[in-house]
Amino acid sequence: MELILSNAGSYPRIGDSPELQQHRKAYAQREREEIGEEAFRKVEDEVTAAVIREQIEAGVELVTDGQIRWYDPYSHFCRRLEGVEIDGLLRLFDTNFYFRQPVVKGPIRRRGPILLPEYMFARSVSSRPVKPVLTGPYTLARGSILNGGYRSVHSLALAYAQVLAEEVRELARVGAPLIQVDEPAILRSPEDLNVLAEALVGLAGERGNAKLVLHTSFGDVTPLYRDLQALPVDVLGLDFTYSPKLPAMIADMGSEKSLALGLIDARNTKLEAAESVFPILDRVLPVLKTAQAYLTPSCGLEFLPRDRARQKLLTMKQLRDAYVGGRR
Amino acid sequence: MSRAKLKRLGLDLPLLPTSTVGSFPKTPELAEARTRYARKQTTKHELEGLEKKATEFWIRTQEEIGLDILVDGEQYRGDMVAYFAEIMGGFRTGGLVRSYGNRYYHKPVIVGEVKWPGPMTVAWWRWTQALTGKPVKGMVTGPYTVMDWSFNDYYPNRKAACVALAREIRKEVEALIEAGAKIIQIDEPAISVRQEELPFAIEAMHLTIDGLPAYFITHACYGAFETIYPDMLNLPVDNLDLAISNSALDLLKIFEKDPFTKDLSLGVLDVHSHTIESPAEIRARIMRGVRVLAPDRIWVDPDCGLKTRTIAETRGKLEAMLSAVRGIRQELGHTA
Repeated sequence: MELILSNAGSYPRIGDSPELQQHRKAYAQREREEIGEEAFRKVEDEVTAAVIREQIEAGVELVTDGQIRWYDPYSHFCRRLEGVEIDGLLRLFDTNFYFRQPVVKGPIRRRGPILLPEYMFARSVSSRPVKPVLTGPYTLARGSILNGGYRSVHSLALAYAQVLAEEVRELARVGAPLIQVDEPAILRSPEDLNVLAEALVGLAGERGNAKLVLHTSFGDVTPLYRDLQALPVDVLGLDFTYSPKLPAMIADMGSEKSLALGLIDARNTKLEAAESVFPILDRVLPVLKTAQAYLTPSCGLEFLPRDRARQKLLTMKQLRDAYVGGRR
Repeated sequence: MSRAKLKRLGLDLPLLPTSTVGSFPKTPELAEARTRYARKQTTKHELEGLEKKATEFWIRTQEEIGLDILVDGEQYRGDMVAYFAEIMGGFRTGGLVRSYGNRYYHKPVIVGEVKWPGPMTVAWWRWTQALTGKPVKGMVTGPYTVMDWSFNDYYPNRKAACVALAREIRKEVEALIEAGAKIIQIDEPAISVRQEELPFAIEAMHLTIDGLPAYFITHACYGAFETIYPDMLNLPVDNLDLAISNSALDLLKIFEKDPFTKDLSLGVLDVHSHTIESPAEIRARIMRGVRVLAPDRIWVDPDCGLKTRTIAETRGKLEAMLSAVRGIRQELGHTA
């Protein structure tokens, strides 16, 4: 079994040293209108290239663009859609991070590709495969204020799914090997699993040769684990930090799908040790039927300071290498 | 029951006691001095002088408005967790983490055994209380919130960190009581973020205050009712302070099912809005509580700290709140 090192999504855009403050400075300069959009975009390009380089140097084999251009997991995508406006700040689940809430006022339509140009840029500066990450239709619908155009979270999720399916089609067509769909909201509303399932059908139908990864986080996934196996995706990304009983459940039930094991806590600075990670790998890996599994942070790394995010990735590689080496 | 406790503590409060959640905006003079201090362009001594001046300004302002229980306004605190983490043993200042847009903050890291360093807020409480005849609340951030808003490199898990913090924060509560504080607010805005952790958050509150002679208030944030009611009634405090200004919650329905067993502070001002509510609007919010709970168990305050508002907005909002409260007091007095 191959255990591939992958990033889960976001990456800190600044660090504590002066030379890592470039993005923050440029952002402030743009707000004061000292620099224009184009100059700011150039800084975003540079920082994106830098965080991709940092991931590769830390040993990550499947990188992300760090979502450097994303204001937050909701408004980045939604503000580019017709029918959606962006409102005030709301706490992102149990984090100390705040996102701007989309307000849906009418039928949602895409004006053009949103993630494709970002992916194309990331790929052009990466020597390793890049995994595009998007927030899923159910989570977008749950996080939106519904003010017209749709009657329910259900119909809104399906509308978001339609535009996201176009994104998936474009990304798959240019050769993205995996496409990750983040659906943390489903863990808080397991009764809506049928909505998620219906919404994902559209995305799955457009994935072509790309593998679809469904990633859940910010909650215990154990109660939904069995049902997630039935969804039309290829890989399940699992946050182990909230789910103490998950290793036993996987050992017991196995997995038809490939798994991305979110064993590296992206919400806390403490670095993982072999004593805590190896026993889980021992239980989980033998029951997997797929040729590949992934080792990942539990969610995006932006909740950590930059230096600690890098150390987490280095730790992830050391653990994987020691584990695989020890088993040979 | 809690009225009896207040009486035992020597506190005679009017019907619908009015207070605030803790923070007030920094005065412009102080805000500017804090920036200069951060750039090492001014001395600690000068900064403290301005902090005291600003605190006195807020004490006089609260008296003028007519609030019943005063706060020091937290003019000397930046952030409600970082303030304690910077003084307590076992913490290190962490690297920058983004909170939204281009806003970043230094999230504290627990790197060793947490330790009470001696009184952290007592000198300020004593100094402030000496300025006024009205009771001043002791203000401490609770163990669960300090844990949740910090990284933990040291303790084996979140619960262990929380329990260790509770034992140390208790020493601060004891010191406040020894200094003479009779009403103490233990803020736990993070308490509803992980429902499954509520049992140990409650256990930590027991460790923090059990057996101590004061009237305890806990401030929780918007959303707490939806997620952790009625379990939050197990918090061993006398008064739960809850934001209702922005919520369409039907308190009657909720309390019918699970009766509210404590005193309730109704957060009736939206601190995130620049608009100054009219006394009629505020009155309606208070009446939502008064209709379902005996009025002598209800306190009235804004729904969160006011530090993000301007001084004029703060004043306007609180004056409107007092105007609404006076009206209701009069009516209830007439019908009694």
